[in-house]
Parts: sequence; structure tokens; C-alpha cells
Amino acid sequence: MPEAAPVGIAGLAVLSALGRGAEPQLAAVLSGAAAFGPVTRFEVGRRRVGIAATLEQVDSLPAELAAVIDDACADAGLDARQRAGCPLLLALHGHPGATGWAVELAARAGLAGAGRVYTGACVSASTAVADAAAMIGRGADRVLVAAGYLVEPDQFALFDAGRAFATDGVVRPFSAGRQGLLLGDAVAAVVLESPAAAADRGHRPPAELIGWGRAGDAYHPCQPAPDGRGLARAIEFALERSGISAHAIGYVNANATGTMLSDTAEAAALYRALGSAAGRVPVSSTKAVHGHALEASGLLELVITVLSLQAGKLPVNAGYLAPDSSCELDLIVASPRPVSSPYALSLNSAFGGANTALLVRAA
Amino acid sequence: MATVEAVIRHQYRWATAPDEPLPSLPGFVLSSFSPLVALVADRCLSEYYAEPSVPTASRQRTAVLVVSRSSDLVSAEHVRRTIAGGDRIGPLFFYQSAPNSVVGQIATHWGLGGPVVCISPVGDPLVDGLAEAALLLEDGDADEVLLILVEQGSDDDQHHTADRAHALVVGPGGPSMAIHDPVPAQGETS
Repeated sequence: MPEAAPVGIAGLAVLSALGRGAEPQLAAVLSGAAAFGPVTRFEVGRRRVGIAATLEQVDSLPAELAAVIDDACADAGLDARQRAGCPLLLALHGHPGATGWAVELAARAGLAGAGRVYTGACVSASTAVADAAAMIGRGADRVLVAAGYLVEPDQFALFDAGRAFATDGVVRPFSAGRQGLLLGDAVAAVVLESPAAAADRGHRPPAELIGWGRAGDAYHPCQPAPDGRGLARAIEFALERSGISAHAIGYVNANATGTMLSDTAEAAALYRALGSAAGRVPVSSTKAVHGHALEASGLLELVITVLSLQAGKLPVNAGYLAPDSSCELDLIVASPRPVSSPYALSLNSAFGGANTALLVRAA
Repeated sequence: MATVEAVIRHQYRWATAPDEPLPSLPGFVLSSFSPLVALVADRCLSEYYAEPSVPTASRQRTAVLVVSRSSDLVSAEHVRRTIAGGDRIGPLFFYQSAPNSVVGQIATHWGLGGPVVCISPVGDPLVDGLAEAALLLEDGDADEVLLILVEQGSDDDQHHTADRAHALVVGPGGPSMAIHDPVPAQGETS
């Protein structure tokens, strides 16, 4: 895998159950204040678990997507001409109207058009980010990636039926006693830009995407490979593209959903890919605070990783009870850690053995 | 018009008026979506590899890319109606709620360790699928792509449309195909 040119993260916008904008996300992931509570958005009386992380005042998903797209363009400082050359990649749960949403969102925002709509479950947004970087590598100036999931009755009922939820109402990534995941809202947008295009307009990005990787487990329809083989290769691809060593990584924002099999497989993947560095790199999963945002999770967690590097503090791994011998990682459990390296990984995995790794560098 | 370097190495198309029922697929119920994806993938790869389905290290960078405008519409409608009616949904629908699951089945059976990607086409499904396949090949995470185009049919008073699916093995190299990629290359706008 040849080294790839870095891609600027020129602007971003986000909402989750933690609030709107960057500040509430950062405050909550650093303090470990989880946003979970009883679901009141729809009826959950017949569900085993009725808890999720939802934002109280929220508009429809298309309206919220339109807002974050505008906000990300403004944050990046794009003018109308620059927007007009910037295509939209959209990640969300697949449905017959999805591409229509993408076309309308792109037109409304004055973007170049809808490029792709990603519907591959929990790696949808992170795959879109990797693809955006690849598109910039082959000549595009800018690409806007947007993603959204707002907790709704159908997916909630499916996860409940699959007994995926934490019955104790707490997400405990990598911890002994973890019982499962909980869902959460997220709508986010990120503008990615080539260094040349950024330089042309005198923009200095606050962070860069310097590596990315996508790989499959080839193991099971919906369980992760216990040895973490696919995620490990995604991490290796990201490292190879970046040209940095595993020992340079200063933080991993883990996929860890709080489910028994997935967290153990992810720990195995980190050891497989990072070797001796795996036991020393600070790790946390912020899903313990904002919940699992499914198709949007990769973008929310990338944004949180960037915000944390910028703030100089690393998020805590909330909900932690006690060590699990199958997850022997340097978890950030008590309080935020100071940033000691500008390099951080954001990892995501999904059904089908799909895995992605995004490697960022703070400016 | 962006030119991408990719070539179709093999393909299998499910007939629009099939004279045989779809084989069932263990773990997947009610809907034809996942069985249809598995069927075209297996037939395409059986012909292409011309050997037993033994996973090999050489397929570690074979991506699986599913392109579908509606995803599994039959399952989604069943879930929506069941929940709206106040009934409980079966747990198998959790696992088939994302198109990734059947991809995992195919990848496991054939040892395909490349990226797993699912997209809904903005334009022509074949063009969008080939463009995404070419991007994965050019970027290097994949050295071959199993591209599967799938749409479920529908029945109403006026029209009947059949399920349709098309599996292609796409690799790098020429002759290059001129594909209108909705994501413009440098200097282009669409």
C-alpha cells in the first residue's frame, strides 16, 4: 500500500443526544456524562429495554442533515463557487427515498450533486470518509460527507428483538459485566479538502485525515472474527497510507459497542495490528456516552476524535466496572488524559464483517 | 466524464422471469433479497473461479459491493407493519435488517476479505456500481470486486415487476471504461 497524501478536514458540524455543536460533545465525552434515558419519542412499552440517547428538540432527519451540511460548509469557509464544485456523500439507513434525499440535500446546499449514498450499516459513514479521501486522491478538490441516524421505532424494535441492548441501561465498552449496546442520535457533516485546494484559498485545516483502510472478516454474517483479522487489516492499511508507525498513535477511539463478542474481537485486532504498541496506546469508546448511531456512528466518532485532539484531552471510557481479561487495553477510565501525540485512530465495524479505520492528525 | 480503469472479468445475471424458485438461505426469512444476492454471487463466483468454494489467501482483497436502490424492501415493510400493529418482530429480522449480513455470508463462504460496501445508486446502478468498484481498486484496499446489483420486484393492481439481480467480478486494468462518475474529478463539475 503506497503512502497517500493527507486530506484536510476543513470543516465539521454535529449534533447528538449530547447537544448541538462541538462544545457539548466535547464536554460530555471528557466528563463521561452519558446521555441515556427513557425513550419518549415513540412507544416502547412492549420492548425489553426502553432506553436510548435522544436529543429532546429535534427536527426531521432530512432537515437536520440540511442544517449540518450548511454548518459544515460555513465552518470550512466555503463560498458558493467552492460549494458548487463539492459533491455530497451521504450515509444513512437504506430506504427507497434515500437517493432522493441526497439529491435534494445537495441541491439545497448548492453542492455539486449527490455522489454516493452509503447504506452499509455501521461502517456507512466511515466508508464514505475513506471513499472521499480516495476521490480527493484522484483529483477532486473537496468532498462533503454527511450522515444521520435519529432513533426511531423500527430499528429500535429490531435491536430489541435481537437482544442487543444493555438491559442495565449502561454501555460498558471493554468492561467486565458489559451487557450490550444502546442506540443514540447523531447527525454530522465533514468537509474534506485537498491540500492544494486549501492552499489556493488560504485555508489551514484544523486536522488532517492521513490514513484510512477498509477490510472484511470473511468470517460470519453478523459476528466479528474473534481474532479481529479484518479490523486489523483495515488498521494496517491506514498505517501504511499514513507512513507512520504503530508506536506513534496516541489515541484510539474504539468501535466498542459494549457487546461481549465485538469488544473482545476489537481488542484482538488492536494487538494484531499494533503489536506491542496495543497495550500502551490510550483507548476509549465514546459510544458509552452518546450511544450507537448506526450508519452515522463513524462520522460522529471521527468528529469527536478531531475535537478531542484539538482540545488536547482524550475522552474517557465511561460505564467501566472492572477489567476483562480478553480486553487488556490501556483504557481511559478515571478522567480524561492529556494528548501526547497528534495521531489518533477512529475504528468502526459492522455486520457482514465490515471494518474501517480512519487515522487523523491534529494540526 | 471520468475515465476509470476497471474491467468486467465475469458476470451472471438472474433472469427477469425465473422458472425456478429461489433456494432458501438459512438464517434469512420471508424476503427474497438476501437469497437473491447469495444466489447470483454463488453462481457468478462458481463460474468465475471454476473450482470448489475453498477460501484462499488470494481472495483477501476481494471486495463485496452491493448496489440496491431500495435495499431489502420486503423485510423493511414487514417490520414497519408489524411494529405499527403493536406486534413483536422476530429476531431473525434483526440480522437481515442490513444488507451487510448476506454479504458476510458470501464473504465467509468464498473467503473474500476485501472491503464490504453497500450503496444506493444515485444514477444508473451499473454505472454507479462500476464507479465505486473502480474507486476501491484504484485506492488499493481491493484488487478485485464482486459487484452485486439487486432490486426486489413489486406487485400492485397495475404492474408486476420481477426480482432482478446481476453479479459481476470487476478487476483493474484496461481497456478502460468511460463512466460518468457523479463525483467529478479535478476540474470537472457535474
